[in-house]
Amino acid sequence: MASTGYHKIILTIGICFLVHAAVSAAQRKSSGQDLHEIPSLIFQGIVSLIVCMYAIIYIAGDLKEIRATEELENKSWETLRNIPSFYMFNHRGRSLSPAYDPTSINKALNEE
Amino acid sequence: MPKPKSSKPGDHTAYSELAVRNNAAVVEYCRTSMAALSGCTAGILGLTGFYGFGFYVLAVIGLWVLLLMRAGSKWNRYFLNRKSLLTNGFVGGLCTYVLFWTFFYTMVHVY
Amino acid sequence: MAELLLDANIRGWVFLPIVVITFLVGVLRHYISLLIGGSQKKADIQQVQDSQALLRARLLRENGKYLTRSAFQMRRYYFNDEEVGYFLTQKRTAPASNPMTDPSMMTEMLKGNLTNVLPMIVIGGWINWMFSGFVTTKVPFPLTLRFKPMLQRGIELLSLDPAWVSSASWYFLNVFGLRSIYALVLGENNAADQSRQFQDQMSGAAVQMPVDPKAAFKAEWEALEIYQHQSALEGLAAEMIE
Repeated sequence: MASTGYHKIILTIGICFLVHAAVSAAQRKSSGQDLHEIPSLIFQGIVSLIVCMYAIIYIAGDLKEIRATEELENKSWETLRNIPSFYMFNHRGRSLSPAYDPTSINKALNEE
Repeated sequence: MPKPKSSKPGDHTAYSELAVRNNAAVVEYCRTSMAALSGCTAGILGLTGFYGFGFYVLAVIGLWVLLLMRAGSKWNRYFLNRKSLLTNGFVGGLCTYVLFWTFFYTMVHVY
Repeated sequence: MAELLLDANIRGWVFLPIVVITFLVGVLRHYISLLIGGSQKKADIQQVQDSQALLRARLLRENGKYLTRSAFQMRRYYFNDEEVGYFLTQKRTAPASNPMTDPSMMTEMLKGNLTNVLPMIVIGGWINWMFSGFVTTKVPFPLTLRFKPMLQRGIELLSLDPAWVSSASWYFLNVFGLRSIYALVLGENNAADQSRQFQDQMSGAAVQMPVDPKAAFKAEWEALEIYQHQSALEGLAAEMIE
C-alpha cells in the first residue's frame, strides 16, 4: 500500500483536470454563458476532485497498526531487551578502554 | 517505543502511541488536502451560500468513506474510533476550505 | 445588491500578489526560524550526568529492597558518604532562575518574537500601505452587517454588501487560512519533530533537568539518608521450604 509513482501520476492528472475545468469555466463566464447550466463542467470538477482525493489518500503515507502487539511481533529479542532506564554510561567497564584517563572526566568538569 | 496503556486483564487494548500519532498525521494530511481541493472545486463550480457549505460536508463524508475503504474491513486495526475520524478537525479544515473557495470563486466568477 | 464589476488589473496586481506574498513570507519565516533556532537546546554533559545520577539514586530508593544489605549500603555509600559521596562532593551552583537576568533566555524570547510576531506586523503594515483601498474579492456566501468592519477594513462605504472583501482583510484571511497549508508543504518540520521526540526517549527520559541541581541533590541525599533498608527477600528461603 505504499505511495508509488503511479499514485503521483494520478494526482497530477486529477489536478490537470481541475485546472482545465477552472480555465474553461473562466472562459465561458467571460463569453457570457450561465455556468450552472453546463452539467459537463460540474461533472468534470467533481470527478477530478474524487480522483485527486483517491491519490492523496495513498500519497499521504501508510497507516500503521495501532495495537502495540503488532509492532512487537516484528521485533527481535534484542530490541525488547533494550531498556533505556537501565542505560549506564558511568560504569567501571570504561576503565578497560585503552583510551581511558582516570583524571580526564573530573578535569573536563572542573574546566566548565 | 511501545507505550502500553493500562488495560484490563485479558483485554487487548495496548496501543502503540507512535503508530497512533503517525496515523493521525496521515489523516491530517489527507484532511488538509481535501479541504484545499474541495475548496478549489467549489470555487470553480461557482457554488454560493449554503450549497458551498453543504459541499464541504459532503467532501468530509467522502473523505471519511475513502479512508475507511482504504483501511478495509479491519478499520479498528488502524483507528481508535470511527466517529472521531469523521469529526476531528472539521473547523480547522473549514478555514482552509473557505480560503480556497473564495480564491477560486474570485478568480473564475468575480472578475 | 448590485453586482460590482472589478477591473481585471486588480486581480493581477493586488489580489494575486497578496496571496503569493503571504505564502512566501510564511515559507521564509519557517526557514529563518530553522536557521536561527537551528541548534536545539542541547543538554550539556554536566546536566546529563546530574540527571542520570539522580535517576540512579531514585531507582535505588525504589528498588533497593531487592538488594542484599551490603549491596545496598555499598550503593548508598557511593552517593551519600560524607567524604567521597557523589552528592556531597559534587558542587553545583544554582543557576539564575529569573529569565530576565538570564541572557540566553532573553535571546530565546527575542527569537520567538522575531520570527512570529514581527513579520506579521511588518508585512501586514506594508500590505496595508501598498494595497490599501481596493475591493479585491467577494466571499461566495452572504454575511450579516456585523462582518463589515472585519472584512472591509480600509473601505468605509456604508452601502457596500458585507460579502465584499477589502485588500487588508484579504491578507488576514490568507494568514489564517494558509496555516494548515504550511503544515502540508513544510512537512519536513513535522517529521523532524517526531524523530526528535523519539531520540529523547532513547537517551533516557531524564534529560529534562530540574532547574536547580544543587537543591535536587540535597533532596535526593536526604531521601537516601532516611531510607530504611528492609530486604523484601528476607526469610524467602524459609517461606519456600514451608
